[in-house]
Parts: sequence; structure tokens; C-alpha cells
Amino acid sequence: MRASSRSKFREGRGLLTLILAAALGLSLLSVDWTGGLLHSGGVSYAVRIFGGMFTPELSPKFLALALEATWNTLTFAVTGVTLAVGIGLPLGIAASGVLFSEGWLRTSTVAAARFVLAFLRSIHELVWAWLFVVAFGLSPMAAILALALPYSGILGRLYGDFLNDVPQNPLRALRASGASEFKTLAYGRIPMAMPDMLSYTFYRFECGVRSAAILSFVGIQGLGYQIQLSMDDLLYDQVWTLMYLLVAVIVAIDVWSSVVRRNLTR
Amino acid sequence: MAASNEQQRAIRLDQVSKSYPGRMALYATSFEINVGEAVAIVGPSGSGKTTLLHLMGGVIQPDSGDIFLNDHRLSEMKPGRELSSLVGVIHQQYDLVPHLSVMHNVLAGRLGQWGILQSLMSLVSPKNQTLAVGALEQVGLVDRIRERTSRLSGGEQQRVAIARLLVQDPEVIIADEPVASLDPARATDLIDLLAKIARESNKTFVASIHSTDLAHQYFNRVIGLRNGEKQFDLPVAFVSPELLGGLYELEGLERESVVQE
Amino acid sequence: MTAHDPTLDFQKVAKSGLSMPMASLLGFIGLAVVSWASILWGGKSGFSELFMTGTWAGVAEFIGQLLGRGTERTPAFLDFASWRDALWLSLDTIAMSVLAIGFAALAVLLTFLPAARNVAFGELSGNRSAIGCAGFFLMRGVFVFTRGVPELLWAMLIVFVFSPGILPGAIALGLHNYGILGKLSAEVVEDLDPRPARALRTAGASNLQMLLYGVLPQLLPQFLTYMLYRWEVVIRTTIVVGFVAAGGLGREFRLGMSFFQYDKVMLFLMCYLLLVLGVDLIAAWLRRLVR
Repeated sequence: MRASSRSKFREGRGLLTLILAAALGLSLLSVDWTGGLLHSGGVSYAVRIFGGMFTPELSPKFLALALEATWNTLTFAVTGVTLAVGIGLPLGIAASGVLFSEGWLRTSTVAAARFVLAFLRSIHELVWAWLFVVAFGLSPMAAILALALPYSGILGRLYGDFLNDVPQNPLRALRASGASEFKTLAYGRIPMAMPDMLSYTFYRFECGVRSAAILSFVGIQGLGYQIQLSMDDLLYDQVWTLMYLLVAVIVAIDVWSSVVRRNLTR
Repeated sequence: MAASNEQQRAIRLDQVSKSYPGRMALYATSFEINVGEAVAIVGPSGSGKTTLLHLMGGVIQPDSGDIFLNDHRLSEMKPGRELSSLVGVIHQQYDLVPHLSVMHNVLAGRLGQWGILQSLMSLVSPKNQTLAVGALEQVGLVDRIRERTSRLSGGEQQRVAIARLLVQDPEVIIADEPVASLDPARATDLIDLLAKIARESNKTFVASIHSTDLAHQYFNRVIGLRNGEKQFDLPVAFVSPELLGGLYELEGLERESVVQE
Repeated sequence: MTAHDPTLDFQKVAKSGLSMPMASLLGFIGLAVVSWASILWGGKSGFSELFMTGTWAGVAEFIGQLLGRGTERTPAFLDFASWRDALWLSLDTIAMSVLAIGFAALAVLLTFLPAARNVAFGELSGNRSAIGCAGFFLMRGVFVFTRGVPELLWAMLIVFVFSPGILPGAIALGLHNYGILGKLSAEVVEDLDPRPARALRTAGASNLQMLLYGVLPQLLPQFLTYMLYRWEVVIRTTIVVGFVAAGGLGREFRLGMSFFQYDKVMLFLMCYLLLVLGVDLIAAWLRRLVR
């Protein structure tokens, strides 16, 4: 017994290393090394583009434009994430199966919910965005939905896991005092899972800002749109201003969320 | 205890003191230990045993005073090859890397002698395997050599730590409560093993323990500490239960109940 | 026995104010209200169109086109040759994702150590150094920056430098994930039990040996988990990066869109979903391999 588990461990690790190395090697082969790695004039482009890192444009007029774009992106992120929570939470509760006792009703609801969540999060927000823009036309709603749908899949799945992984003893006590499954959920599971759920939702918010910036490439107001305009005009100094603003917002949210997380686990 | 001039001094402390923010861990302490002696350090928790042992092992530096190993000043020795060939330290637990195999943990005793490249290569294909096998034979764990260390019991892991000490082969063995988390039977076995190893290679052996029985059986000298001060330093024959009782009393702690002979 | 006065408890709570997480939650809710308001009442938001039948007719038409209506020949997703081509592209896309994670992982393993507090500030080795502290802030800054910039943005910048293909996409994804993996790895090392590493010191190990034997073995299993998790995320992003960097499925997807060949788009969407599913399964299997 001991010998088999011992050798399985080593074999597993050896096999894994082999697989990873092979995967990397094969992928390197897929690259077309012969066609010239760099663009013609690529190096001068690189210098111009990355040189702009040190000289971002700071004129008041442009800064005002940039800040407005930042605000737009932020509102998209917030609305998208809140919508995602609204969709993801019920789906997550359904997928966790905590409202039902054993039976075919439970397994089918769980399976259906998990399938929907998996489907929602398989598709990248930009692909969703493209689908919505073609279907509904260019509008903020297309962007918000494009953000909310995959995020609801991600959030829903994790909410379901958190609700399931909650310690069982307090729940047993609640049930013993007569609480229904729903009440157990409301009074027991949700409060206990809340720190993890809140913490992850904040993390998703941070990702959401990034996604919202990208989504505005599609043509809606926001940082991405402005970045594209500046890039088309080859004004790389402006591009870096916008990028710095984006990174600043993300860092601010990151700091906010780690402070919240630290307070929650105290 | 005065050192005789024929015997070599393995460890010498000269007015060594150590403090931490908010408290004094060790007041100016001096003593000498000769090569080959087996010294037990006793005292209640917080008396400064660990601080003293760590100072002797070169793990921490004193605030004042000097420590000498084989008449070399400890503060002038760099950790690494020189220091590790002179002194080795074993703790209550957590000395070993749980994710590594027993063999790697044992061979880590040679790290002081290996260069960077050797150490790297050894992670993949271990060098000096016979060395590890020999050490593990001495502690009785050869058959577990390829297992992940975390799978071994506490007592077995301590023996692996001893095997690592064997590979390291220092002249002085310092043990900080090596058996505190073991049951009395295993504790006896472990101290027996350590004392035997020390005796056979004429190593100096210093350990902190709670059990007076173990002290009487395996050590020839006892140093008692309380509140960072040396209370006594006597041959083991002169250490009476009353003396020990005085050491531990008024601390609110009881002595570990003595295993009846 | 004094009577327990509940109002005193309430005053105590009220005086202590809101807990930080509650305040943050309220702040966030406030932000959400303002955002929704500015969207819904700030001009054409598009939501009203959800309720117009004309919109849904357009959607139906679009779905029809995806399903192949409106083309004279067989829809691409029913055509064997198209599937074969699409599968080759999928292999390219997988290669892009593996390269991206490979680059990121290797780069992280070589450079992340200064970003761990206990390494940089000398808790493990026992002495602080100015270089260590500077290195900490530098590496943390690098990680924040590389992961703060969205992958697509990196791709747009890099595609000017490198010729199109899967390489610029891989580099862009690699850069972004370098920051993510770097931060995660630093946190793993910070949460380590330092005692085995310190014990190695007394056995004679130099700082580097201590890192090799004491830190790395404890990091690697967790690092692997993070790598696999990021791989699952990356494969979903390769299609959009390939869009910009002109490699793999993304390139053909874009062409299909530009020429309104929605049946081809459907084919690529299906390939994409299969890829995502495949990667999820492989990653789960690899995880089980190491258990």
C-alpha cells in the first residue's frame, strides 16, 4: 500500500514534467521562426511606443478627456459587475443545490444551472460584445451585457462553491431547531460564506475595470476607445497617459479590496 | 566548573547576554563546556533555554559578551561551511522540508560542503547517496529513504533530522527540546540515540530537556536556568529533586511528571 | 446581579461605527447606484431597445445567419474541409496559450523571489539589505504594471514590434500573466513556514541553497495549480488576442466577421468552445496526476 502510493506520487510528478516540457517544445515549434521575428522597422516602433512610457501627455485638456473616459469605464465596470452578481447569485445558489434535498429535482437543477454557468463563462467578454453589437447595435447596453454575462458565470460558480464549502455544524444546529432549507441558506450559509463571496466579488470588480476598458474598444465611450483613437493618430504619449490612469484605477481597487479582505479575516 | 587544562574547551561563553524588545532573555552568563561532555539545560518555559542554545549554535548573535567554539570566536565565523562543520542544531520539530523526500532532507546536511551547481544537480539526482544510506541505517529508517518526509510520524521525522546531523557531522550537537512532542518511550529512544552518537564520535552534546530521568541517565552535567539567569551548574549526581523543584516553583508550572523507574 | 441594558450595547455598536467591510459595501452600493443612474438616464443606453420587437427580429435574423441561412453553399460548420482547417488553427491557438503560460512561468520562477516580503526583507536569511528592499518594491511594481495592463492592450502594442502570428499574442498574454503569477507566487512564499528553511541554515546552507531546498519545494505544488488555473483563463483569451495579433482562431474569426461570413464565424465559435472544454478537462486531469 505504502509502496504503491509512494511510486504513484513520483510517477505522477515525472509524467507531469515530461508533459509540460513536451507541450512547451511542441508549441515553440509552431511558431514561424523563419518568417522574420520582427516587423520591418519593428525596433524603431518599439522604441517609439515604449519610449512614450516616460513622457505621458499631461495637458489639462487631454487630462480632462482622459478622466472622463476613466469615469465612463468605471461606470461600465460597476454596472456590469452588479448585473453579474444579480444573475450569478441565483444561478450559483441553484448550482450549489443547497435549496433541495436529494432527488431528481435536485440533480437536474444543479446540472442545468452548472451547464448554464459553464457556458456563460466559456465565452470571452469581447466575443459576447461582438455578438451583442451585431445583434443589438452599438450601445452601452451591449457592453454592459457583454461584461455581465461571462462574469455572472464566474461569480455564480464560485458563489455555489463557497455556499457548499461552509462548515456543516452550525447548519445542523439550525436544521435541528426547525429551519427550512431556505432559512438555513439565509441565516446560516450566506453569512458564513459572505467574507469569501465579498472578497472574490471585489476581485472581479478589479478585473471588470480591465474588461470594461477593453470593451470600449468596440466603440463605446471609455478608456479603450480613447486609447484606440490615440493609437490611430500615433500619439503614443497620450496612449501612456491613458494606460497609467487605467493601472491607477486598478491598483486603487486592488488596494481597497485587500484592505477589505484583511478586515474580513480578522 | 573549571576546565582542566588537558581537556579541550569545546564551548565557552563569556558574559553573554541577549535581550528582545520588552524583555531580557538571558543575563550575562558564562560557563565552559569541554569536548565530549553531555550537558542538559533545564528550566521552566521562558527561562532562556532556547535563547541560550541558539546562541551556542550560532543561530542568533549575543547583545554583549563572546561565544567561542573550539576557541574560535563565533561572531567571526560566517554561517556556512565553517560553522556547520563545528555545530549542528536540532529542534523539537519543523526542521525538515516536508515536501522533499527523506533522502534529500538527510543529504541537506552536506549543503555546507556543496557548491551551488552541486546543490542544484543533487535535487534532481542525489549525490552521495551512500552517505544518506549510512546515516539512515544508524537511525533505523533506511527503508523510508525515498518517501516524502511529510508521510513520516513525528518520532520518525526526528530521527531523519538526526540522520541529517550525522551527514553534517558537526563537532557539537545542540538540541532544543528535541523530544518535547514525543511520548516517553520514544523520547527515551531518541535521547539514547543522540547520546550514543555523541559518545561514539566524541562529540559535545548539549540539550534542553524536561525529564529529570533522562537527565540522570544520559547526561553528566546539568545547567539550570530561570528567568534568563543561570541558577546552578553541577554534575548530574548533585542535582536533587529539591533543587529542580526550586527551579520550577513559583512559576506556576509543574515539572513534567517523572517517569517512574 | 445588575440588569443587562440592551441600549448600552446598541450605543456601543453605534459609537464604534461601521466595520470597514460594511462601509466598503455601502460605498460600493452607492457607486453602483450612481453608475446605473448615469447609464440609464445619460442618453441612449440601449436598454429600452430590449423591449422593442424590431430589435428581436434583428436578433432572429442574426442567429439565422449564424446557423447558415443566406449562403448558397453548405454552411462552413457542416463542411469537412472547413473543420479540418479550423482544427489546425485550434492547434495554433493551443500552442499560443501554452507558450504564453510557459514564458510567464519561467520568467516568474527566475525573478519573483525579491517580491516576497520574507525574502526581500531578510526574515529568512537574517539580514536586511538596501538592495533587498529596493528589489521588493521594484518587482512588486513590475508585477502590478504588467498585470494591470489588459492582455489585449499589450497585444496591440506588441504587434507593432513583432510580425503577426502566434508569437506576439503569446508574448502579450505571457506579460500579463507574468504579473499575475508573480504576485501569487510571492504570496505563497510569504505564507510559508520559515522554520524548515531556517533549519537548513544551521545545517550549513547558503542563502541560495536555502531557497532551493527550503523554499522552492514548498512553492512548486501551489505554483503548478496556479499555472493550470491561468492556462484555463488564457485559452479563453487567445481568441481575442489572436484577433489583434493575427494568429490562430482569432485571425480567421476576424476575417469571417469582416466578410459577414457568419457561418464560418459559427464554425470558429464551436471550435473555440471545444477548445475551452478540452483545456478544462486536460487541466483537471493534470491536477489529478499530482495529487
